[in-house]
Amino acid sequence: MNAVKIRAYLWLVLALGVAGICTMQFYNKFPLQTNLLLLLPPTERNPVAEYAVQKLADIAGNRAVFLIGHPSSEPATIAAKAFSTSLGEHQVFRKIIADIPAVDPKQWTEVYLQHQFNLLADADRSLLMNGNVNLENRLQQKLYAPFQFGLTLSPADDPFGFTDAWIASLPLKNLKLEPENGMLVTHSVEQWGAGNDKTGTNKTDITWVFVSAELTGSAYDNQVQQQVIDAVRVAETKIKQHYPATEVLRTGTVFYAETARANAEREVDLIGAGSLVGMLALLYLVFRSIRPLALGLLSVGFGISAALAATVWFYGEIHLITLVFGASLIGEAIDYAIQYFAAHLGAGDTWEPESGLRRIAPGLTVALSTSLLGYSALTLAPFPALSQIGLFAVVGLGSAWLTVFLLLPTFLVKPNSRDPELAVAGPKFLLNWWQAHITKRACYVIAAFILVVSIPGWLQLHADDDVHLLITRPPLLASQESKIRELSGIGNSSQFFLVEGKTADEVLVNEEKLTARLAALAEQGKISSYQGISSFVPSIATQQKNRELWSAHVFSDVGLLNAMFESAGLRDEVIKNQIDTFKASEGSILSIEDWLKSPISASTRNLWLGQTHHGFAALGLPQGINDVDSLRDIAADLKGITFVDKAGSISELLKNYREWGSLWILGLIALVYGVLFVRYRGLQAFVIMTPTLLAISLTFGVFGYLHIPLSLFNIMALMLVLGVGVNYSIFLREGGVHAAASLAGVFLSAGTTLLSFGLLAFSSMQALSSFGLTLLIGVGIAVLVAPMVLTFESKHA
Amino acid sequence: MQRKIITLALALLTVVFSSTAVSAAEVDLLNKIGHKIEQHAVIRAEFTQTKQMQALKRPLITTGKLTYSRSYGVLWQILQPYNISYVLGEDKIIEIDANGLRKERSFRDVPGLAQVGRVFRAILGANVSALNTYFEVTAQGDTDKWKLALIPRQQQLLKSLSLIELSGGQFVETIIITEASGDTATLRFRKTLGATDLIDTELQLFSTPTASLKTTP
Repeated sequence: MNAVKIRAYLWLVLALGVAGICTMQFYNKFPLQTNLLLLLPPTERNPVAEYAVQKLADIAGNRAVFLIGHPSSEPATIAAKAFSTSLGEHQVFRKIIADIPAVDPKQWTEVYLQHQFNLLADADRSLLMNGNVNLENRLQQKLYAPFQFGLTLSPADDPFGFTDAWIASLPLKNLKLEPENGMLVTHSVEQWGAGNDKTGTNKTDITWVFVSAELTGSAYDNQVQQQVIDAVRVAETKIKQHYPATEVLRTGTVFYAETARANAEREVDLIGAGSLVGMLALLYLVFRSIRPLALGLLSVGFGISAALAATVWFYGEIHLITLVFGASLIGEAIDYAIQYFAAHLGAGDTWEPESGLRRIAPGLTVALSTSLLGYSALTLAPFPALSQIGLFAVVGLGSAWLTVFLLLPTFLVKPNSRDPELAVAGPKFLLNWWQAHITKRACYVIAAFILVVSIPGWLQLHADDDVHLLITRPPLLASQESKIRELSGIGNSSQFFLVEGKTADEVLVNEEKLTARLAALAEQGKISSYQGISSFVPSIATQQKNRELWSAHVFSDVGLLNAMFESAGLRDEVIKNQIDTFKASEGSILSIEDWLKSPISASTRNLWLGQTHHGFAALGLPQGINDVDSLRDIAADLKGITFVDKAGSISELLKNYREWGSLWILGLIALVYGVLFVRYRGLQAFVIMTPTLLAISLTFGVFGYLHIPLSLFNIMALMLVLGVGVNYSIFLREGGVHAAASLAGVFLSAGTTLLSFGLLAFSSMQALSSFGLTLLIGVGIAVLVAPMVLTFESKHA
Repeated sequence: MQRKIITLALALLTVVFSSTAVSAAEVDLLNKIGHKIEQHAVIRAEFTQTKQMQALKRPLITTGKLTYSRSYGVLWQILQPYNISYVLGEDKIIEIDANGLRKERSFRDVPGLAQVGRVFRAILGANVSALNTYFEVTAQGDTDKWKLALIPRQQQLLKSLSLIELSGGQFVETIIITEASGDTATLRFRKTLGATDLIDTELQLFSTPTASLKTTP
């Protein structure tokens, strides 16, 4: 057995190994990760803040929220009930909340009644401190008032209404929803009849009923997603049969995740199929033989399979973003095989597999090295998904390259039957023309022209580091979500305060200082409201101060108090009870635990994070934020308070890395030059790099002219333009006597690469599409100016 | 709690009820009562409210005036034992004390208030299904002398309010509210008259004349 055969068998063993691993990994399951949040790196210096972000995301992530709307309130209620019953028939939902249980006002207010002499609303506290309270008036109002709002205590328990005022001051209500018929309801006035009555122009009052459903599994689980979508569709169809005018609004991580997955799967199919078909068509067009097609497929197939196996082995799963990108890698992985085919074609009758391989080997290896450098740069990126893409590409390209060395010589033994002259007539003509007309001088002019044209474009460059680059928001879902937010008042949970302290009480003390500052901001309209734990449980110091005020201004003169109660007609036992309770409650303190146990904390318990590594922590949730900077500012000098703005932090991170990325490109240029220097030495190495450098320069210019904002992802793509673009110069430089065949190969390579990355530019995810677009423009220009190396080489040769 | 406002609204207007739970004769009666009251743009009355509370040795008695306007809402003026007024508007409640000092609460800020406001508007717009959403309604008598009983449908409301009884002839004459705790409030209306327009002093209290109010101490 000769060396060629041994290598082929070695490849076969490797291929079988990869196939085996893939079968094991993908047997009965596909470890596809669709959670886009995992793309986002930890951004917060404080680990508790990161935990809090995670916790809030989990709470929101496991819930689907619906609003069922109808122009009449009764059908709306019935439809919402039918909707939740229908959802409840599916196991994918654990808990569906549509009806609200009737709460006993006594149970709700009990915890505060027990500690009433430790509590005062802010307004009452300042009134008492200034001695401005007319107790007799307050007693009269409590007794005579024709209207009372919300939860109120009986005059026997709260004769002056101080505890009523405290309860009314609780920031309990952060939603615009109201109980109606035992369901949570909100109303809007709008034009109705999208479904059945398009002629209606009159605005009507729409009743929206709130339904919330908790998922049994992860919102990112494929099966959970499918079951949720099906269950919702069934439920919606059911209620629309009876009430055609009903509209169902939905929001929840599960819907976004499902759309993201569906989009990604469609894109993988589109890019994969497009790349493959295009590649095969181009290969056939040039080589007119089935053999290169089959071998090309084997090379790419082995590369992609090995990449899949390695990625899943290393990460335990593969992110859908990696998969979408992987599909576009097909166009690049085929390049090494194409060079081999081109050499085969160019050699004509003189073909001999071993020597042919030997001749192209250095070029292929240098080309692989530069590409690997480009992709390795990705693995340094702080984004988990980008490092995964880097690994995928390194393994995929490496394996495709290996296939050329191990497998292709065995199967491409016979010389090409096609007349080499005829096959490469087109490139040959172009080559002759280039060599005749494009002198060194012309090259300088072209280079200077590209630079001059680029510069005004650079001046128009601007950047966009917004997090929407990473998160695709389908318009329909996004509009439903914003309508739900508007109607229900459900806030955005990515901006909040983290309050910390060594003890639980220190958390409360710190939070009270924050609350005081936020009250001022609310007055200026910078936020609409604020939910913090100290509004429900004041710190021990505040409770003691409140008690002192009660003692000094209410219970100071028991005789006077008795007389006042007496003349108002209160029963004797009521009077005695008030005074006794006040005395008995001396020294008692309302604790966070008391509050957590009470039903009144049901909707706000999540504010308390409890014990952490540093002590204790709580969340503070501002609502209706109009001025984010003011929130950051007020938290800056407060002890134990961190303002967390996840979206803002990610944008900040994207910005930092974009700026650093520009430096990385310079470093990478030096590295690539180093690799080229090993083979080509000083000036020639520079000549080989020049077309790519010009391409990068013009790509920036084009982005400027077209007003496409720059982001980290463009910069990352430019690193690949550097790695991939240089390949074409290398292949041409290595072409030697078969220059025309090399040029044909380069065009073919570029064609497949541009096709793949061009398709990537259509991705619905902006990060990927700007990645693809950058590669399309950059690699396209690099290919067009690559023949420059021939001009400089021809004289040298 | 909001029940008192609901009651008030009922008291002033009654309603064009329509309900599946109500017999045809009852529906007819309800419609007639509704129409009768609906024809007046403005209604004025004097009231006496008697509250029986367990915490008190003797009943509390309040007297005052009440003005209903189809376009502005309700003005509830307590004259005895002290002077205080309430305006129930389209989207807020205004409290005006003896010195003319106004305290506004918008429906958005107070839980439950918007709901009340909606019942209120539903009544004004003769939205027949609205009141039935909140109460189980039974009617007795004829258009000259009728009696209605309202029982809250919502479990939540039932926890604090057991029953509202209305009776009257041409206008509402009596309202009795029984709370779950056993406390009761009885409202009696006298000298009820229909009119077409509000007078200036009433208008001033209704519409938010910020400028004129700022001058009052």
